[in-house]
Amino acid sequence: MLELLLWPLLAGVVLTGIHAYFGLHVVARGIVFVDLSLAQVAALGITIAILAGHTVDSAAAYWYALAFSSLGAVLFALARRYESAIQQEVIIGIVYAVCAALGVLALDRAPQGAEHIKQILIGSILTVTPKQVAHLAALYGIIGAAHWLLRRPLIQASFHPEQPTASRFLWDVLFYGSFAMVVTSSVRIAGVLLVFSYLIVPATIAGLLAKSIRRRLLLAWVLGVLVTATGLCASWYGDLPTGPAIVVTFGAAIVLTALLLALRRVTLHLLALSLAVVLCAAGLLLMLFPQMDQPWLDAVELAIPTLHTTFLDQDDKETRRDALEAIGRGRAELAELRGREQDVRWGKIEMSTEKQERLRQYLAARGEIVAGDQLVLKDLGVKARDNQRFMLGLPLLLTGAISSWRLLARRRKHRHRKGLLLPTA
Amino acid sequence: MRVIFIFALAVASVFSAGTRQAVAAPRLHIIATTTDVQALIQVVGGDKVDVESLASPTQDPHSIELKPGQLMRLRSAALVARIGLDHEPWLARVQITAPVLNLSENVRLMQAETPRLRVERQSHVHAFGNPHYWLDPENAKAMVFAISRALGKLIPAEKVYFDTNRDIFVKQTDAHMLLWTKGLAPYAGTKIVVVHDTWVYFADRFHLSVVAAAEATPGVPPSPAELAKLYSRMREATVRLVVADPNSSEPLVRQIAEHGNARVVRLVPSVGADQAARDYLSLIDLNVDRLVKALR
Repeated sequence: MLELLLWPLLAGVVLTGIHAYFGLHVVARGIVFVDLSLAQVAALGITIAILAGHTVDSAAAYWYALAFSSLGAVLFALARRYESAIQQEVIIGIVYAVCAALGVLALDRAPQGAEHIKQILIGSILTVTPKQVAHLAALYGIIGAAHWLLRRPLIQASFHPEQPTASRFLWDVLFYGSFAMVVTSSVRIAGVLLVFSYLIVPATIAGLLAKSIRRRLLLAWVLGVLVTATGLCASWYGDLPTGPAIVVTFGAAIVLTALLLALRRVTLHLLALSLAVVLCAAGLLLMLFPQMDQPWLDAVELAIPTLHTTFLDQDDKETRRDALEAIGRGRAELAELRGREQDVRWGKIEMSTEKQERLRQYLAARGEIVAGDQLVLKDLGVKARDNQRFMLGLPLLLTGAISSWRLLARRRKHRHRKGLLLPTA
Repeated sequence: MRVIFIFALAVASVFSAGTRQAVAAPRLHIIATTTDVQALIQVVGGDKVDVESLASPTQDPHSIELKPGQLMRLRSAALVARIGLDHEPWLARVQITAPVLNLSENVRLMQAETPRLRVERQSHVHAFGNPHYWLDPENAKAMVFAISRALGKLIPAEKVYFDTNRDIFVKQTDAHMLLWTKGLAPYAGTKIVVVHDTWVYFADRFHLSVVAAAEATPGVPPSPAELAKLYSRMREATVRLVVADPNSSEPLVRQIAEHGNARVVRLVPSVGADQAARDYLSLIDLNVDRLVKALR
């Protein structure tokens, strides 16, 4: 595990280091899509490099990308001067769309490379090499140090734009320029989605939890590293593609933070009321459309099988038991034989071609039989749902409706009493 | 004035087109979905046909955005020839009035299991059979037979011409086949890992054994656990070669080769995707050549 995940983890740490910092700026400036836009401009640069006869991985392509995104950076800095006339976000959006379309037009003329561009935007953090991580760390170290030295005007330009300074345009160019450099380099390794998450999510969560810039930055760094590690673990144990797994972990982190913050304001009464409304809706849906997908009921039935079997007659119960047994047996056999098929393919076990073909055909047939048994279970589910429709749906609906009505009535009474008390108090 | 001028120009162009048609025999305008189909039709049709391919050789044939001009020519084409299966999902959105030649109906298909089993095994995205069947030269022979039949129906007068062209191609393929099998014979049974399931037909014909595909679903990167398993199995079974496509992800290919202790060879799946792959026979020539060099 460590052998494969060490470098992706270090890459994540490096990315967190610079992007959490830039994220604070970007969120304060209210231009969250600037990163997607600059990445698209950089991709256009690579496309033009391909048209000029360079390969995707060449140094020339990188410089093309950097030149293009720097131009974009200057454009964004210029746009900020005229913010009263056109919002900056509008310019950012237009640049994104037009560059994406220009990229498609250019690729139509390019002899090769469409797939490579797509891959650059998807990224592959799992296959990052030690050399790449070292390059990134060095580059971001330099950019970070420059920002540390010039922190005062840069922070003022982002966080206090209302205070006029003589050379704000220059500071904006410097900010966007260094940001373009970071985006161009990061996207090549991690892809657009992941870079966007590193930029926005830690900064946003830190903004919710802390006030001062220093605290926010520290919090964002810790969060970014934690999420990277969690995402990598999830990807390893859950057998998931790495990049998307980390992005979703970032999403989960922000949902969790929001829930925790919300919980502080939620009363028991509100919680009970929402539960009652949900019960009411579930019962109503079960009664109206018993055969629609009811994932909540599937989950409950899986945990408490009696809830399913009580709605079946004796015959069906026996059929269900048989089908379950057959599926269990079939799956075990399939798993074992497939393992053997793999071993034969990899040359661990010798087997004649004729026997191999027979094994393949047997596996196909056996798989079909298991699938058939699953259809039997599905059929029983349909039967059970018909019985559950009123015997389960109606009680749910009534419980939900009555309790929400009672809860609402109590709240009204409560308010009423408060209203009566207030004037006298 | 301008309107009249344009009108006159249009009339003139119609007439000139008419006279040109009267002088030379009409060329059939045929649309192929891929350059491989185009190349095979060109072989059979010779100078009696005009073939164009909708997909360029380096494009992902699954995701094509048709241009207006292509759509116009698709409407007026005498024949539309396609790979079939689920190779060209975008073709379903286009109304086609011309007869459609689905070449997958005449060839030996592999991995044609039911979609349900595929989902369960997560082995491949193609539900109706692996669509890269043109990479088996025997299948190419079956394809030119289907093509000559279709062309012969469109211009019965030229049937003999088409059949002759077809027979010449079949003979050439057989002659090349001897060289190809001879070249790859020493490496029969060699285990190879492919990045995408493009090479099953080719490998089957030349007795190479594809033990695994690294990227089962194109565009979805494999998970680290899958990769770790692949690497350990590759080292255990001493797999010597990783076969990549021109647009396989470079970092992924590099990592597989490094961790699995194998060499990389990039093969060319379509006519025109490499300068040396000018037509069908040179396409297979090139791939066999690259394989032999990599295995030597």
